[in-house]
Amino acid sequence: MTAPIAPRQDSARETTAPETPSQDSRRETMAYVIGVWGRAAMCFLTVGTLVILGAGMRGNVFSSAANDAFDWLGYLADLGTGTFYLVARSLETGGPDVSHAGGDYGTRFLATAGVLNLLSALHAYEAARGRKA
Amino acid sequence: MNAGMGFKLSHLQSMLLFALLISIAFGFLSRRQPIERVKYIVSSLLLFLLIGVGIGWAMYPFSR
Repeated sequence: MTAPIAPRQDSARETTAPETPSQDSRRETMAYVIGVWGRAAMCFLTVGTLVILGAGMRGNVFSSAANDAFDWLGYLADLGTGTFYLVARSLETGGPDVSHAGGDYGTRFLATAGVLNLLSALHAYEAARGRKA
Repeated sequence: MNAGMGFKLSHLQSMLLFALLISIAFGFLSRRQPIERVKYIVSSLLLFLLIGVGIGWAMYPFSR
């Protein structure tokens, strides 16, 4: 016959008070706010960096005076950057130079910045609607 | 920014910069936890570079 085993005393459990639901919800809210604002700040920085680099590399900033469908698509993509479109126009006073690889890369940087900004806006819209984003 | 202040980057530098910036943006958009974000950023950066260099080599026989 064996002696009954005494229940194990967990000292850590006794010393720490259980977290209340309000602390949990506050922590979740803080994590959510930090996550959302961190994401927004990083999107802003990424789009801004891409625009400044693209304009600095003398990429083509498309205007509304488009000649063909590709120019229109480029214009729409560039417009996606929002206010940064005006920044790019003001930065690139020398005009585009796509005769070199740098200018061609710059054009892609600018278009990518616009599409990325639109993607971020769509993401924020989905998050505001309550869908997990 | 006038023409004299333009950035002069090589193909590789431009590709690295592009891959890094897009990977960071994608990581922050698609993952919430910091560790998950870092993993996603590193893996997508490596994939960007691997596929970019791979496509470059695949086009090499037709370049001349």
